[in-house]
Amino acid sequence: MKKEEVREETTQLVVFKLGEEEFGVNILQVREIEKLDQGLTRVPKAPHFVEGVINLRGEIIPIVDLRKRFGLTLPPLGLDSRVIIVEVGEEAVGMLVDAVVEVLRVPLSAIEAAPSITKGVNSYYLAGVAKIEERLIVLLNLERALSPEEAEELSKAELG
Amino acid sequence: MDTSQYLNVFMDECQEHLQILNQSLLDLEKDPENIDILHAIFRSAHTLKGASATMGFNKMANVTHAMEDVLGLLRKQELQINPEIINLLFDALDLLEALAKGITEGREEDIEVAGILQRLKKYSQQPEEKTTPADSNDRRKKLQLRYTAEEKENISKLLESGSFLYHLDIQLKKDCLLKGARAFMILRELESVGTIMRTIPTAKELEDEQFDLEFIIGLCSKEPIEKIVKLIKRVTDVKEVKSESVKAEEILIERRESKPQEVQTTVAKTETAGSAAQKKDEPAQKPSSPVHTGPNIYPTVRVDIRKLDTLMNLIAELVINRSQIEQLSSEIKDQRLEETVEHLSRLTIDLRDQVLKTRMVSIDQVFSRFPRLVRDLAKGTQKEVELQLSGVDTELDRTVIDEIGDPLVHIIRNCVDHGIEKPEEREAAGKPRTGVVALDAYQTGNSVIITVTDDGRGMDPEKIGAAAVEKGFITKDALDDLSDQEKINLIFLPGFSTAKEVSDVSGRGVGMDAVKNKISALGGVVSINSVPGEGTKFTIQLPLTLAIIQTLMIQLGEEVYAIPTSFVDQTISVNRKDIKILRHQEVTLLRGEVIPLLRLQDYLGIQGARNSDLDELDVVVFKSGEKRVGCVVDSLLRQQDVVIKSLGGFLGNIPGIAGATILGDGRVALILDLRDVA
Repeated sequence: MKKEEVREETTQLVVFKLGEEEFGVNILQVREIEKLDQGLTRVPKAPHFVEGVINLRGEIIPIVDLRKRFGLTLPPLGLDSRVIIVEVGEEAVGMLVDAVVEVLRVPLSAIEAAPSITKGVNSYYLAGVAKIEERLIVLLNLERALSPEEAEELSKAELG
Repeated sequence: MDTSQYLNVFMDECQEHLQILNQSLLDLEKDPENIDILHAIFRSAHTLKGASATMGFNKMANVTHAMEDVLGLLRKQELQINPEIINLLFDALDLLEALAKGITEGREEDIEVAGILQRLKKYSQQPEEKTTPADSNDRRKKLQLRYTAEEKENISKLLESGSFLYHLDIQLKKDCLLKGARAFMILRELESVGTIMRTIPTAKELEDEQFDLEFIIGLCSKEPIEKIVKLIKRVTDVKEVKSESVKAEEILIERRESKPQEVQTTVAKTETAGSAAQKKDEPAQKPSSPVHTGPNIYPTVRVDIRKLDTLMNLIAELVINRSQIEQLSSEIKDQRLEETVEHLSRLTIDLRDQVLKTRMVSIDQVFSRFPRLVRDLAKGTQKEVELQLSGVDTELDRTVIDEIGDPLVHIIRNCVDHGIEKPEEREAAGKPRTGVVALDAYQTGNSVIITVTDDGRGMDPEKIGAAAVEKGFITKDALDDLSDQEKINLIFLPGFSTAKEVSDVSGRGVGMDAVKNKISALGGVVSINSVPGEGTKFTIQLPLTLAIIQTLMIQLGEEVYAIPTSFVDQTISVNRKDIKILRHQEVTLLRGEVIPLLRLQDYLGIQGARNSDLDELDVVVFKSGEKRVGCVVDSLLRQQDVVIKSLGGFLGNIPGIAGATILGDGRVALILDLRDVA
């Protein structure tokens, strides 16, 4: 019991970049990180933020462009771009990001609720923000960020 | 005991026995004299009783126990089989099925069993009040039979040391309140004077009051019989004790017999000298234990279907990998490599076929439900209907089998309810009184065809058309343009039902449109042929397996798509000059029929499609009901067997896309299902 009081509880984040901003997801939800070196297959009539599907060792994985998802206007993906394969419920989904920065251990006490709009992203998609020294890392709520529904409709429904 | 890990095994076994019970009861109804059928029913009920009691499903154990009692009486011919009893047994079976379902859903507790138990007990208790000597004699026979080899060994040792073997048939008074306690007291008394070898029912059941008023005890004791009877009679509520001293020879004979009998179940039915002797000794006594009666039963292994799915996926990977290696080898052009690769190819294909086969289940699993269904339907509608099954050995993928039951049930309901006429009506029309519903299944190429045919009144296109107009599905003018076949197909419209009166058989809200949807979802097609006055034939075409399908690969711009060949009516080549515009829609003539043309790139939002610049267009024609639609593509690539993969829940239901597959080069191609678009 004493130990817990001494050592603060922490969580591990995979930190990545969309544009110049830093975002994070809980490492427990991340299955792997891949380079997008194979052709994407476009899926007609899919939501606009779904770039397509890829073959990941025999499994078909949809690829979501988070920048489109959050309505961010950013330059095209560069050489550092990666796909973070995350698990949401039973489904594996790939998130296209501009770069993967690091795996970071953050104390839970550094995590706060997100303001309604954080760096251009609706807080509906967010689980909070982690403030570590000068950095501000935006934590994603993957269940919401990767559900096919649109935030505007959903948050309205929740408020109403 | 934690029995949860055995639950799956139990449920499998349970389903099997319910199936046997169902089938045997139907057989018994047709052939009430056949004692073998009765034995089969008894065995299944008995096994179920044991299994469910072990698993702690007391309700099921009680019902099967009560069934067993009635069946036992039938077997001893103390009770005559009559329709009432058959119906009661069917009802009990339904209850067991409900219980089985309840167990899987974890709500077994909510199911009421008292009614059936009471009805069953009414039969099983009646004759016991007038317990005839023959009855107890027979019971005692059973008691002897049930001694195990070990017990017999013990008995003979005790007999040699000067004990006697008594069989005691004890009856309690009808108004006895504490049956369990009385039985327990009797057992305790007897234990003080000797060794209890066997009781019927078991000591546990006696304590739990799971017996009527009578029970039998096999006792080895050195005391004289009179003393023992007196001892028992001292216990309150004992009405009567019948006793019998059993001679050592009887037991010893049985001891000798017991061995060949046990062997019999494992070694096939070879007549050994021992069993021949046994027959001489007791000609009337049938061996009660052999379980394997069917021909050629091979050992089987139950496998979790998910393991097979995983295996299937791995094989799919291997197939894809194989084509990559083939590609490489054709570039390298080394003869030894090519030979090896070819061998590998053959092996992979064999492997794939074998794994597919393990997933195949004979359609008998589905068909065997229907005799009961048709029987009940016929009784409910006062019709005489005979069900003919053929092609029951036809095999389909497990997933298809699981899904095809409901649509078939609905079609059969339709046939009996709407198709087959009442016996009088049939006679008046010069038909035999008994209507026939025939189910057939057979394989053609990569499909399985299932047909359901009835010789009833058939469908009247005019009536269907009139009803459709009345219900506002179609205008009168539009109706006049339809052919008879098209009018019949109107019944596939959602919400359509031609039943004049709502019967409790059909018209439960699931229409033919649900049937059509289900079959479409399985990648199949359903069609109807009907001749008024002569009958109706439903034809269902299903893919052999859902896992691997044959597709036509097409190209549009830079994108490649797979179209299941089962959806494709035909492919044609259309010259630009033959395309006309009709009401803003491109159309062309196909053997006199006007078919609309759809530029697939517009529908799928594909950039860079070339077909608008081509003079000769490749067109894939789909058939949706009676309508045909042509989809214009850039080029037809090839036919290819592909493994269907789901797009997952995230991209779940995108209209027009049935799934995805992985091509030889590792890329993903989407599988199109354009039947609804067409």
